[in-house]
Amino acid sequence: MKAPLYIVDGVRTPFCKMGTALASADAIELGRSAAAALLARTGVDPAQIAEVIFGCVGQPIDAPNIARVIALRAGVPTQVPAITVHRNCASGFEAVTQAAEKNAAGQGDLFLVGGTESMSRYPLLYNESATRKFTELSKAKTLAQRIARLLRFRPSDFSPRISLQLGLTDPVCGLNMGQTAEVLARDWNISRDAQDRFALRSHQRAAAARGRLAEEIAPFYPRGSHAAVAVTADNGVRDPQTLEALAKLRPIFDRHGGTVTAGSSSQITDGAVALLVASEEGLRRTGLKPLGKLIEYAYAGCEPARMGLGPVFAIARAEAASGLGLADADLIEINEAFAAQVLACCEASASPEFAKEHLGRDRPLGDIREEILNVNGGGIALGHPVGATGARLVLTALNELHRRGKKRALVSLCVGGGQGGALWLEAVS
Amino acid sequence: MNISRQIDSAGICTLTFDRPASSANVFDRATLAELDAHVADLEKEPQLKGVILASAKPKIFIAGADLKEFVRAPDADALGEIVDLGHLIFTRLAALPVPSVAAIHGVCLGGGCELALACDWRVASTGKVTKIGLPETQLGILPAWGGCVRLPALIGLPAALGIILPGRQVVGAQALKLGLVDELAHPEYLHDAARRQLTRGKRVVHPRLFSGSRPFKALVSAQARRGVLAKTHGHYPAPLKAIEVCAAALGRPLEEGFVLEKVAFLSLLETVECRNLIGIFFLQERAKKLSVPAPAVAAQVRRVAVVGAGVMGAGIAQWVSARGIPVVLKDVAPDALARGLHTAGSIYREAVKRRVFTMTEATAGLDRITPVCADVPLANVDLVIEAAVEKLEAKQAIFRDLETRARADTVLATNTSALSIDAIAGGLANPERVVGIHFFNPVHRMQLVEIVRGSRTSPDALATAVQFVKALGKLPVIVKDSPGFLVNRILLPYMTEAVRMFRAGGGVAEIDRVMLDFGMPMGPLRLADEVGLDVAQHVAADLAHRLAHPMPVDDTLTAMIAQGWFGKKSGCGFYLHSGKAPGARPNPKAAIARGAVVMRPLEAARMRDRLVLIMVNEAARCLAEGVIEAPEDMDFAMILGTGWAPFRGGPLRYADSLGPAEVVRRLEVLSREVAPHFEPCERLREMVAAGARFYPPETYSRP
Repeated sequence: MKAPLYIVDGVRTPFCKMGTALASADAIELGRSAAAALLARTGVDPAQIAEVIFGCVGQPIDAPNIARVIALRAGVPTQVPAITVHRNCASGFEAVTQAAEKNAAGQGDLFLVGGTESMSRYPLLYNESATRKFTELSKAKTLAQRIARLLRFRPSDFSPRISLQLGLTDPVCGLNMGQTAEVLARDWNISRDAQDRFALRSHQRAAAARGRLAEEIAPFYPRGSHAAVAVTADNGVRDPQTLEALAKLRPIFDRHGGTVTAGSSSQITDGAVALLVASEEGLRRTGLKPLGKLIEYAYAGCEPARMGLGPVFAIARAEAASGLGLADADLIEINEAFAAQVLACCEASASPEFAKEHLGRDRPLGDIREEILNVNGGGIALGHPVGATGARLVLTALNELHRRGKKRALVSLCVGGGQGGALWLEAVS
Repeated sequence: MNISRQIDSAGICTLTFDRPASSANVFDRATLAELDAHVADLEKEPQLKGVILASAKPKIFIAGADLKEFVRAPDADALGEIVDLGHLIFTRLAALPVPSVAAIHGVCLGGGCELALACDWRVASTGKVTKIGLPETQLGILPAWGGCVRLPALIGLPAALGIILPGRQVVGAQALKLGLVDELAHPEYLHDAARRQLTRGKRVVHPRLFSGSRPFKALVSAQARRGVLAKTHGHYPAPLKAIEVCAAALGRPLEEGFVLEKVAFLSLLETVECRNLIGIFFLQERAKKLSVPAPAVAAQVRRVAVVGAGVMGAGIAQWVSARGIPVVLKDVAPDALARGLHTAGSIYREAVKRRVFTMTEATAGLDRITPVCADVPLANVDLVIEAAVEKLEAKQAIFRDLETRARADTVLATNTSALSIDAIAGGLANPERVVGIHFFNPVHRMQLVEIVRGSRTSPDALATAVQFVKALGKLPVIVKDSPGFLVNRILLPYMTEAVRMFRAGGGVAEIDRVMLDFGMPMGPLRLADEVGLDVAQHVAADLAHRLAHPMPVDDTLTAMIAQGWFGKKSGCGFYLHSGKAPGARPNPKAAIARGAVVMRPLEAARMRDRLVLIMVNEAARCLAEGVIEAPEDMDFAMILGTGWAPFRGGPLRYADSLGPAEVVRRLEVLSREVAPHFEPCERLREMVAAGARFYPPETYSRP
């Protein structure tokens, strides 16, 4: 990177399982809540912001360019533009890195960025046949025509297509995300037990980190409910979670000998994150004090059926650009899409064969030490609101660096469709 | 030059009202005469095809007649002349051989509405500023430039009474539905719409055979009378007169209707009710113009922080956010904020139901409230309003903290209703930026706001508070920092006296009845229930502690509170607020709070004097102590802040109507026969000695 991008501060809503505490809110309202809380918390004059950039994977139909809607509703003045970005699961990263790119291109020095997702609100869709019949019906001119066209509907026309399921299925390789994790489990021989142990550790770490995570959460206040409610904490963490309970679960993506269960997959979750980022000039101009900075980042593509290995490719690229390797990291975050997928990344990073064959390098990336990996738990316990997760990883890692008095964090995630993203962050004291 | 005239090549004449050096158009004699001259000219215009009446003001078509002119009129003859003049000129316009149309954008009230009614057609703009109505009854009079005659003829008697009796104002879409206007258009296309209406020619009036019939009119009138009496308890003669005139004039020739209007109008103008209601109107206008004189500078308030998310804090945040100002709402715990946001959300929801806001506007309003638990930077905040618990130490701690974190020029206000501003500002390095901004509960309903000037409050802080409150659309009154400020200081003795009467054996409903009959919107014991018995007890005890002439407080309320009866909020107080018909039945067990007291029946007139004169006495003391500067402030605050019988003009105006000597005489009787705290105050005695009154005789407050 030519110039670092400073992360001034960040805040997020609680992350809550689909259909629970945040289900009454849409992605706009979640994003607005986080953005408004952040503006209040930093005290920044919103008119100073150059652009608002938000990631969102399942954009609500009623808010095309959801970033603009969030910006206006959070009190950002009309003259400040806004753009929504989409890099699937890395959309929250993309919002941050796009701010860095805009800054490098001289397009602003202070950005409100983040990600938002309401997986509760993913709509059910009419199938293609029903859609066609509705269109014909709407064109009917006479009563007779209308009746004739109504009679063409069949019960099967009303079985909905579940957009969440569709979104989690790769249209190129035909596998859904869980099935890609099964591929990795087979490739790298990752046992059911290893996956369950990883999942258990995620819950245990997240449960222990509850107090720490509370620092990055701004309570969410659902509107329109009969009683006054404040949602103050994540609700996906199972405390206590046990190996026995995990072992009882059936594989859900592959009934025949599969190893990936709901317990070792990330949760389907609602939530939003907002970050305020600035260049050095932006900091000078506003007098804001930064939490940390983004010093390098990379995105890399890989095979869609093995999208879970994306982080390895991205980390390799980031190393090529910056010279920073796994050994330089005081903390590592790899988003827990699936336990099998994170474990496969660890294996691949340490594998000389993989390095030679896929990364074009003669030595492996190195070891990903368990004690610095996802120290506060990850998507398995906290949930993975796809558009928001990237921004959360940045926020959680920076806060943890400060708590530990450490310097550098490497945060990465795999991306449906076969990509990976990796960001190098540095604490600023 | 109030009216300009243009005739285009097609023979369409546009008369544009544009009162010089004013944001409003009003009808005074000069404007009427001008209009008459224009119409006279138009009568001689051979090529004329049509007339359009329009306004050049952005928010006002014609706001009505110039009230000051009526008030200044020397006698009934002069008044009658103005009425005749309006009838004559409007009818002359209507009689032009060519069609006429009123192109209404902005406020179109009273005389403005009556002018529009005299036209053949009316088009209204879709703009939010467009409001059409006949508010005369709110001033104790009735529409007398043809409104009572032409409106029922145009839209029917029931609909017309629905506008005239409550003085209701309707927006364009409602006016179209009612048939009050013929077409709705965006302001930009209003003129085109008006021209389109002109092509319809003169309007042909069809007689209303059924709805103009005697039995129908009698039925509608009787129903309307019942409705009015239920609301006004017979205290307001104007709506009743309006029903008579409207019904009688319908189906009769215009001229006969005009005579009825004029006679009724002149008789209403003679009434005390009318004089007091017009007085209030002027007092409201005075409050809208209130400002702190230069060199004080009012700061622009662009962003507000409210500390404390209780009922008051949430209510203030809701109102401020509804006026387009972003608010940071601070409280210590998320649960408190959740309740506060819920309260604000409910107020917005209610407003959407009543169509005050659209759903989008309500959402945008709620979006402007940002809840925070942690201390956030206040650099962008221009005004902080503290609405935390009523404990001095807590408030002092909040202000000490605010002082270090807010910008040096940020005004720090407290919404305290009882504590001293000076005490709250006590430990600060800059006590001069502390001011009281005391809203009343419920904030979204109560128009009055007390602005409390501490002994060290700077003129700038005071000016900012006044400016801000006016910008919120509330009516400010400036009061001195003294116990109870103004409204509570007067109300508490009143409520306490009612409680004493209850203790002495008075029935709950009987006591409240006396005050309803007097013209109060609710009785004192029901008011105590609304306020909360614990709050009433706390404030009464506090005032008793701090005032020089305290009012004796007995332990009746304490006994009730001990039963868990806190008033409306707990479901039980002097009344039962739960079960069937909440609030309708007195609490049958309340008597236990009386203790062992011999029941004595109380006489209504005596009860009334005890309750009302205790307020008069306290009001006179406030004036003597300089809590407020003028008697107008007192009467205005009590009417707007508590709904104090408006037609009686407020406690001091009422005292004048009895005469100070009579007030003192009755107080002396009470102090002898009931209790010594009725002892008339020094000021009242001095006034009697000097033969003085609170107001100069026979004047309106500030014409």
